[in-house]
Amino acid sequence: MKLAPLSVPYRALQKAGRLAITLVFIGSVGTEVGFSSALVAAGIGGAVALALAYEFAYYRRYAYTFTDDTFDIESGVLNRREREIPYGRVQNVDISRNVIQRLLGLSAINLETAGGGSTEAAIRYVTADAATTIQDELRQRKRGNAQRRQAGAETVDETEGDAGDGDTDSMATDAFDDPDETVLFEISPSELALAGILSFDPRVPGLLFAVFTGSIPFVSPVVPEPAAVATTGLDPTVVLFSMGVVLLVGLVVLSWVVGAISAVVNYWGFRLTRSETELRYERGLLQRYSGTIPFEKIQTVTISDNPLKRRAGYATLAVETAGYAPGQTNDRGSEAAVPIAGQDRIRRLAEAIDGCEAGVFNRPPKRIRRRYLARYLIALAGMTGLLYAVSVSVARLAALPWYLPLVGVFLAPVAAHYKWLHRGYRLGTNHFVTRNGVWNRETKRVAYHRLQTVIDNRTLFQRRWRVATVIGDTAGSLSLLGDDAAAVDIEVDDAGTLRSELRKRLQASLADRRRRRTTSPVTQDTEQSVNEPSAAEQTESGGNDAEPTVVDDTGPPTDNDDESSPAEPGSTDG
Amino acid sequence: MNALNARIRIVWVLRSLVGALILGGAATGIAVYRSASLSIPAGLTALFVSLGVVHAILRYRSWRYVVNDDALYLERGVFTQVRTEVPLVRIQHVDSRRSAVERLVGLASTVVYTAGSRGADVTIPGLTPDDASDLRQRLKGLAIDADGEDAV
Repeated sequence: MKLAPLSVPYRALQKAGRLAITLVFIGSVGTEVGFSSALVAAGIGGAVALALAYEFAYYRRYAYTFTDDTFDIESGVLNRREREIPYGRVQNVDISRNVIQRLLGLSAINLETAGGGSTEAAIRYVTADAATTIQDELRQRKRGNAQRRQAGAETVDETEGDAGDGDTDSMATDAFDDPDETVLFEISPSELALAGILSFDPRVPGLLFAVFTGSIPFVSPVVPEPAAVATTGLDPTVVLFSMGVVLLVGLVVLSWVVGAISAVVNYWGFRLTRSETELRYERGLLQRYSGTIPFEKIQTVTISDNPLKRRAGYATLAVETAGYAPGQTNDRGSEAAVPIAGQDRIRRLAEAIDGCEAGVFNRPPKRIRRRYLARYLIALAGMTGLLYAVSVSVARLAALPWYLPLVGVFLAPVAAHYKWLHRGYRLGTNHFVTRNGVWNRETKRVAYHRLQTVIDNRTLFQRRWRVATVIGDTAGSLSLLGDDAAAVDIEVDDAGTLRSELRKRLQASLADRRRRRTTSPVTQDTEQSVNEPSAAEQTESGGNDAEPTVVDDTGPPTDNDDESSPAEPGSTDG
Repeated sequence: MNALNARIRIVWVLRSLVGALILGGAATGIAVYRSASLSIPAGLTALFVSLGVVHAILRYRSWRYVVNDDALYLERGVFTQVRTEVPLVRIQHVDSRRSAVERLVGLASTVVYTAGSRGADVTIPGLTPDDASDLRQRLKGLAIDADGEDAV
């Protein structure tokens, strides 16, 4: 199959646009050296023609095919490339369309598999229909593939996990063309507005800083000369200080506005739906994104909130797969992330996705609060000392309020308490759940069969306090930043038990999955193990014609100490 | 629980020696530049070297590994003690490698890769080449036997 014909001019203009900018730049410099504008125009025309020719050749060469087991892509004008991607290895299929692409009816497709630093297959511009077809086709092939392999019971070894989901029994081959999706989540206007308000884009100050440091000559005339200020009778340091404050406030407001706009634009019309084996999302105002995440590929589900959100009854949800390369996750975050929604909705949505039940967390020992307090105090002392040193050594900053950080001394005990309060772990039926964070509290849920390695860390200081940290490593991508599910500062004895318990549960969970994979689909139904209440099964039990279970605001009241509810001091002393 | 080959201490000492010499060289450079006495950089270098030796010995003592029926278990670390369990099911591939220094003392390392994001590679240093390749073969065999499930 081919790309969309319109992709030729679009890609050519994209390429030529970049070339033209360079040429115009050269031209503007070059006119002084004697380049005529006609020459520049001819250059641009030539560039466009060249780009068109190249893109036409690219279009001619590019072909993708669905074979029995793999998705094949042949491409390349000068360097040829043939790529085969086994269906079972596909993690996410994302479609994105920006405004111009939507006008032209084009879509870009990104196909992710685990591992590798970049997107495995970036199909640059097929028609919108073809994009949906590819997405559907991939899903069906994947399912068909998994099922076919299961049918041949002797080929159990490399089987994809999809087959073990228990959804295969009722799934006849003719059910393939039926997407039967249920809507899990739709963002409401108020939530969208709130998401905007709460989005502060920290990259903006950095960007502005980069821009402004490059344009100091433009800024410095605005800053009043000390001599000029002296004539007005004002203290120069005060003027400088107030200007700094104004600048800072402006920066914060600007970052906030930019963050708000980008959040609204990004999450416009955010929608999560569920088919039997996949999660599908759609979002975006200017650039429309849609994509699928197979349940089997979900690594962790993270619920986060902060005191403000908790007070207002909101939380944030992120779903992580192993597909995205770290560079890609940084700008957009997890694709199936719900920016903000009511706690109940988040809780039920998370449960629908991973089937993890609520429970009580085991907290670190209480004595560890003293350690946190000491740590905060040391940090404060260090900060104060640094400021004091600056105020003493730099004459102009003598009036610096170096004692300001000392206010934190009163906050430190509170923060230490909350650090302890929010920390915890629990072993669910099928999930290892951890919770961490003083301000931004994150609850991570990892299914046992998703654990990769279990790491038990004890630093010098932790050993003194007789505590340890147990980390459950997964293949998730966000974890590259080092925030795996971690039970921090638990008793040394507990750490040993937890470690071996995690290993045992991983093995049990895997054995269970293996057993269910090898048993025939008929017995599978009766052999529902407690170890796998996957979301797919829940769809099944509801029947395919069941009413879409929209998670709306009118949910049943919930019990208290689960992950999205406000923390209650002393409710559970693990 | 297996300990490492004792010769690994030589490798580690040599490595810390390189670091100590670089630091010592820099310190000497500064001392010469500021025409201070050379006893300070000499003392510093000696300190770094002795710290390196002590660290290498302690590190050697802290290292333990064992291959259980279902997991590879490692224990190591002087300041931060780390215990890692790598389920055999999760092993993606296994390398044995020999660096120049390791070849000098006749040792090899085995590196175990998982799909995990953190500690994606677990290295067991200080094995004789035969042990390393035995361990590799054994882990490979066990990993194949353990399960065929998709590791991600």
